[in-house]
This record gives sequence, C-alpha cells and structure tokens, in this order.
Amino acid sequence: MQAAKPAKIKFTADHWKAYGLLIPSLIIFILFMFWPFMYTIYLSFFDWNMVKPTKEFVGLQNYKEVLTDPTTYKVFGNTLLYIGLLLIINLIIPYILAFVLDIVLKRFNHLYKGAIFLPSVISLVVGSILFTWLLNPVSGPAAIILGWFGIDMPIWSKLDGWVIVVLSLITSWKVFGYNFIVLYASVNGISREVIEAARLDGVPLWKIFFHLVLPMSSATGIYVFIITIVQGLQYVFTPIKVITQGGPNYASSNAIYHAYHEAFVLYRTGHSAALSILTMAIFILLLILEFKFVERGIHYEN
Amino acid sequence: MKTNRSVSIPWHMIFIGIIIILTFPIIFAVGISFKPLEDAYNNALNFIPTQPTLENYETFFNSLNVVKIVSNTFIIATTVTLFKVFTSFLAAYAFVFFDFKGKNMLYFLLISTIFIPFSVTMIPNYLMISDLGLADSVWGVILPQLADAVGILLLRQSMKTIPISLIEVARLDNLGHPRIMKNIVLPLVKPAVTSTGIWFFILSWNEYVWPVLILKTVDHYTLPLALQMYISSEGGTNFTVAMAVAVITMIIPLTLYLLFQKYIIGTFASSGIK
Repeated sequence: MQAAKPAKIKFTADHWKAYGLLIPSLIIFILFMFWPFMYTIYLSFFDWNMVKPTKEFVGLQNYKEVLTDPTTYKVFGNTLLYIGLLLIINLIIPYILAFVLDIVLKRFNHLYKGAIFLPSVISLVVGSILFTWLLNPVSGPAAIILGWFGIDMPIWSKLDGWVIVVLSLITSWKVFGYNFIVLYASVNGISREVIEAARLDGVPLWKIFFHLVLPMSSATGIYVFIITIVQGLQYVFTPIKVITQGGPNYASSNAIYHAYHEAFVLYRTGHSAALSILTMAIFILLLILEFKFVERGIHYEN
Repeated sequence: MKTNRSVSIPWHMIFIGIIIILTFPIIFAVGISFKPLEDAYNNALNFIPTQPTLENYETFFNSLNVVKIVSNTFIIATTVTLFKVFTSFLAAYAFVFFDFKGKNMLYFLLISTIFIPFSVTMIPNYLMISDLGLADSVWGVILPQLADAVGILLLRQSMKTIPISLIEVARLDNLGHPRIMKNIVLPLVKPAVTSTGIWFFILSWNEYVWPVLILKTVDHYTLPLALQMYISSEGGTNFTVAMAVAVITMIIPLTLYLLFQKYIIGTFASSGIK
C-alpha cells in the first residue's frame, strides 16, 4: 500500500546491524557476480585464450572484430527471432488466456493453473530429450501422424529458421506455465467491480482486455516481458547445447550460446567477453525500462 | 456475471488442449521407459507398455554409478538451497525492518543481477573455480549458484506483509534480532520460505549450464549431465534408456511440486506483483 504513510519507527539505534545481516549475501554477490562482471569487461580489451600466461592488450580490437564478423549479425538476428517467438508464446498467449480464465471462465482455475505450471519444474535437458524423440522427423510420433496426411516432417534440426522455431517451442514448454501463473495472479488482482460493471454495460471482451485489464496489470506485464527475454534466452541455451550445439552453421545459436562457443570451444576469451558486454548493454536498456515503469510505477497493483 | 456456454466451451477446449500438449510428453516418457527398444520403435504412437520391462532402467544402472550421480545431485541441490534460503532470509529481513544508508541503492544493485545473463560472468567464474582447485568438484558447482537474488525478492515480498508494530513490541520487550527472526518472523513467512526453498531445490536439481562447464569426470556428474550422454540429434539408438534416465531426473521435482503445489503457485504468483 502506498497511500497512508504511518510514522514508521524502525530500529533507530541499531541501523548498522543491517549491514551485518547483508554481509553473507554481499560477499557471495561480490565474488561471483560483481567481480566477474568487471573482469569480463577487462577481458574484453585483451587478446587471450585462457591458457597463455600473458594477456595482450588490444584496446577496442575485440569489439571491432566482433562487430565486423558476419556471424555476429547472424547470431543477433537469430536472437531477435528467438525473442519474438518467446514473447508471442510466453507473453501474448498466456496474457490472453489468463484474462479468459479469470474473467470469462472462472471455473477449474486451480486445476488449469496446476497442470499448466507442471512442466516448469522439469529440467530442460529432459524437455530436450523428450521432444527430440517426439519430433524426430523420420520415426517420431509427430512425423508418423503428419505422414497420415501426406505431410513430410521437415528435418528441423538441419534447417535454418525451423531449428529456431522448434528450440523456442521446447523452451516455451518450460517457460509458459510460470509466466501464465504470474500473469493470472496480476489479472486476478484487478478490482472486480470495474470489470463486472463494464460487462453489464455490454462492453465487448476485447475492449475490456485492452482498455481495462492491460493497463491495470501493466507492471506485471512489463516484468514478464523482461524476464521472458532475459531468462528465456538463457533457457534456450540448454536445448541448443544439448540438441544442435548452435548448428547447422550457427543457424540456431543465440547471443548467449555464441559467447559460450567463443570462450569454451574456440578459446577466444576477448571475443566472448566483448560479445557478452554488447549483449549486456542491450539488457541494461531493458533494465532501465523495468525500473522506469515498474519500480516507479505507472500503475500499482496493490 | 454468467458467461454464455457457446463462449465458454471452446475456451475450455483450448485450455484442455494446452494441458494435453504440456503434459503429454511426460506421460509419453514414463510409458516408453518401460518398453523394450524394438517395441518402442515399431509402435511409436503407442506409449502404453504392452510388455512392460525394467531393462532400460537396468541398462542405466549397469552402465553408470547411478547412486553416486543421484547423491551428487542431491548434495548440490540441498547445499545450494539451505545456503540461499538462509542468506536471502537475513538480507530480506535487513531490507524490510531496517532503515540504513544506501538501502535502496543496494536493493536495486542486488535485484538487477537477476537480469545479468550468465555469459557475462562465466569466464571469470570458471577461472576462479579452477584457480581455487575446485574444478570438477561439488563445491565448484555450488559456489557460483549461490549468487541469486530471487530469494531476497520473494522473501522481502512476504515479510513486507508483517505489521511493523509487531516487531516494535518485541523490540520494546528487549528481544534480540535473532529471537525476533526465529520466533516471530519465521513462523509468519513460513509458506514463502518453504516454497522458495523447494523452488531453489528444483532449480539446482535441474541446473545444467554451469555443471556442464565444471564437471568432467562421469562419477562427479549430476543427473541432467548423465541424461545428456544419451542424447544425439536423431533421438539416439538408446532412446528408451534415455527415457528411463529422464524419468529418474524428473521424479523428484515432480513429487515436490505435487506435494507443495499450492505454496509454490502462491509464492510465484506474487513474484510479479510489486
């Protein structure tokens, strides 16, 4: 609640104790998050292969090489395609379904939520192996069913475009349920009276969705938008690594997998670091968006 | 307001369809894991084991040190969970019940790490773990996983609902912070602590990206890494065994979820609401 601001008498005398409580977290985060972050920036200015005893300072050379390499653009293009697909499947569709379940159907919501969330607790390595078999283009069940209709299943793991579609679907299998319950809770938190009044006045559902529900749940909407992009791209890493290793010819690689590939397959730490920093810069833009809209609040839900 | 049936029935069908798509692969895997390889190949559409067999599980148990692999996974997930819940609890308590200099900035800094992709920290973390001599070890897998701000976010959310007056009264009674945490705050936020803990356990149980960088010896593997050994891009010739390993990998998270479903959904539902 933002409205009333009671005179909060917190523990005035012992504020310093808060730092003590934060020390364990801070040590961990400095060691394994902030320091590595800085060190990656540092590495992005050096030519190194992780083994050589000396690193050679090359200034902006790594950035220049990364930005002139056609593979980088291919990988960033793939990344955009992944983002687009992940957002359609894991933001737009669950948003509409959350609205329908909460406002229109209202029944079986516990059952539906429970079942839809289920795959979110399962490893994506499991997901990858299940779908590699289910979608096996020759002998898998999906191929057989398509065969009845005379349709040949594309050999998706070898085809540009298709490979990204399938890997996005596998990842969505895990992400969808989590996003759905978060969005559902937010839609569910909107005051009933306004919506019921609008429905009694005969306002069409799509108008209720766009003019009432969407603005009133926008903070969560933006949260899910960002989490889908940032974590979605990291989740895709697993099926890429397990199924395609970025292939064929980088057609399924994304910004995060490519950074891994540069560092741990090609041993070009400078390129990998520069690529990660560039990716991070794009994510920071998203972060600013998050804190501008969500934390400051264009609309607060409870 | 009641909804017209002609509107609601198609939507219910859509929901049921989605649920079938989402859960079918799991049922399919369980069925296939009890089938002989030949049967699974020849009757790809029938996932019901007509001649049930344990041979796939036996193959897995005979080819790898499964007890060791399961216990590695369990030890890593338990340690990560206990540690993360404990440090997140302390941090959330500090953020909710104290006013101190730099509080907002520090909170912002910690929470923003949720949005840092792991590729940004992986090389230095890999080098650090190697320099510490922890490569290919349980601790090498555990340590970098501890830097996760989600627990602070979730527990802070939950602690914010505690009336501050309750804590003030306790302070006036000269109760120390450890006692307040243990006797007042912890019982009140127990559902959030439980579901956060279960979620961390599941997350770490399933963790793949980091262990795959650190672990080299098969005996040190966790379940997701062992499973990966059975995958090839064509689905593999060993895919019934792979299904058995998949079943073993997902059984613990699924059981935990089914037992604590209400807690978990409740806590995560609130994570997007500020």
